Amino acid sequence: MSSLIASKYRDISAAASTSDEEVIRLENVWVQYRVPQERIGTFKEYAIRWLQGRVRHRSFWALKNVSLSVRRGEVFGLIGPNGAGKSTLLKLVAQVLRPTRGRVLVHGRVAPLLEIGAGFHPELTGRENVLLNGAMLGFTRREMEKKLQSIVEFAELGDFIDAPLRTYSSGMWARLGFAVATDTQPEILIIDEILSVGDEAFQHKSLERIQSFKAQGATILLVSHSMAMIEQMCQRAAWLDHGEVIASGDATAVVDRYLGRVRDDEGKRLAQESAQVPVNRWGDRTMEITRVSIQNAQNVEQHVFHTGETLVLRIDYLAHQPLDSPTIGVAIHRQDGVHITGPNTDFAGMDLGRVEGAGSVLYIIPELTLLEGLYNISVSAHNHDDTQMYDYHDRLYPFRVDNRGHNIRERYGLMTLKGQWRRLS
Amino acid sequence: MAREAVYDSARRGHPAVEEIRGAIKYRHLILQLVRRDVLTRYKRSVLGVAWTLLNPLGMMVVLTIAFSNIFRFQTPYSYSAYVLSGLLAWTFFAQTTTAAMVNLVWGGGLLNRIYIPRSSFALAAIGTGLVNLALATIPLLFILLYARVPINQSIFFLPVPVILLAGFSLGLGLFISTLAVYFPDVAEMYQIIVTAWMYLTPIIYPEEVIPEQFRLWITTLNPMYYLIHLFRLPVYYARLPTWEEMLPAILVSIVVLCAGWWFFSKKSDEFAYRI
Repeated sequence: MSSLIASKYRDISAAASTSDEEVIRLENVWVQYRVPQERIGTFKEYAIRWLQGRVRHRSFWALKNVSLSVRRGEVFGLIGPNGAGKSTLLKLVAQVLRPTRGRVLVHGRVAPLLEIGAGFHPELTGRENVLLNGAMLGFTRREMEKKLQSIVEFAELGDFIDAPLRTYSSGMWARLGFAVATDTQPEILIIDEILSVGDEAFQHKSLERIQSFKAQGATILLVSHSMAMIEQMCQRAAWLDHGEVIASGDATAVVDRYLGRVRDDEGKRLAQESAQVPVNRWGDRTMEITRVSIQNAQNVEQHVFHTGETLVLRIDYLAHQPLDSPTIGVAIHRQDGVHITGPNTDFAGMDLGRVEGAGSVLYIIPELTLLEGLYNISVSAHNHDDTQMYDYHDRLYPFRVDNRGHNIRERYGLMTLKGQWRRLS
Repeated sequence: MAREAVYDSARRGHPAVEEIRGAIKYRHLILQLVRRDVLTRYKRSVLGVAWTLLNPLGMMVVLTIAFSNIFRFQTPYSYSAYVLSGLLAWTFFAQTTTAAMVNLVWGGGLLNRIYIPRSSFALAAIGTGLVNLALATIPLLFILLYARVPINQSIFFLPVPVILLAGFSLGLGLFISTLAVYFPDVAEMYQIIVTAWMYLTPIIYPEEVIPEQFRLWITTLNPMYYLIHLFRLPVYYARLPTWEEMLPAILVSIVVLCAGWWFFSKKSDEFAYRI
């Protein structure tokens, strides 16, 4: 979803009232999954193994001692990497799973926003599907028939409501699913990363409806990998990792901490890659590049930047014999191979003069104009005429531009040109 | 907190009892699922409902030609009526148990996301089977009349064997659908078993032709024998069953139903991460 839409709703969500009344409560919840150690696909195989006494089960904890409390009328976010236990937590609230230990309390009717298609039958008409879907949410046929009109209107289906679902476009399926789930006015709505379906106009409508929901005191439990979405929609959030709650509380604070960790992890990984023995390296090593370090404005090594930040490239070299005016160059490529720039000391009019022994140069980018992506830096040392290559490190130094959590006003393409918008009329 | 929790994981009865409660609470869903199955079955076929009637009739005609004229089986009344009455009961059993399994695997995606009683699918399969059976009884009555099988008031006893058959089918359907969640090959294996089982039950042949040494297996130890026999009594033999005929059918139906229900509800907590 575009942040443009989401940001429009930020004000409303902040204004919506939350009471202190608890609607979801998890007390020291543990969930254990018990699965066979090896994947046994067939009954025959299982029977044979069982007779041989070779069926072993492995159990692991999907949630470990999780305690949470969600209050009436709030939008509560769940974040964390894949496999962190977010879906397991949703299943507990949806009463699909039961905790192995601990206690789950839910006050109110829960409705999940089903992924497109789940629960729909292609041969049935839209109308029949609405009635069937409603029954799954615990409504009688008569109750659903009363809601039918507003569902058809919201989903913009018109006469299609009496056509079999197989004739629907995927957008129509999604709209119908959303309309049914939300028109039944659940007290707790579970949303698992699905607002990306439908066109922009429909997303718009969907968000509007979610907000009106909140205004009526409904509670929303939202799982998303989009931190912008979590920050914009949620008052509070919890960060799960390996089944444990790492942090919970104010959504912005939790997202910040989470992003901090993500950045650290990636930085470590990229630093590790940098430290590996270069294989993409050639040249006669008359003059050797001994160390390359990507740093921030404070000259601290860093691998994740945001647009507009200062990037300093420090290149240490060692000339094994006296050399006249060697040239040191840099190249930056995007990960997919797009060559972005290739400056060197010679083009810049900088003469290193007679060089012998160890020395360093800095290449300073005062304000990084690159947008989000992964980039690789190459460094070279060659003679003034570029006829002899001393040392070449081909794309050995990666860095990432990551603008999450920063207010960067551009998002598409390679870089910002810092253009300005002006209104004439 | 003033309000009582709608859901409290700590306060929960025995799974089998909870499952019964859920099924009662969600009876509307089960009705909708039956409706869906019946509607989708007839929606895209030209002959519509007629298929339910024509299918066993066609089978009957083929079997009558093969066995009555070629093998010359001796049955008290018309062979056609004998084979059709047996086939209807068997078709009900085979279709409902298979549908219980297929529906559960199909609905697995839903069970992952939303609470619905997991037995809904098996119960709906039984419901659909009952609708089909009721429809198929109409041609059966015509055949009975045509074949001059005596019909008397004992035909009103028919719902009793149907209920016992439904109980047995539900129990077995729940049992195999639990297995099918864990092992996809169960569905295929079951088709083979059902076919073999049908030939090992006196449906297309009269029980009198069974050699003495097989009697134990084909009749005494075969639960379906009692149920099919009980179904045939009011329609084909036009009499009420004796207690000796009733008791094994009742026993088999109740035991299988309870065992299947217990096994299913005990294992169903794992479905959410197995399907």
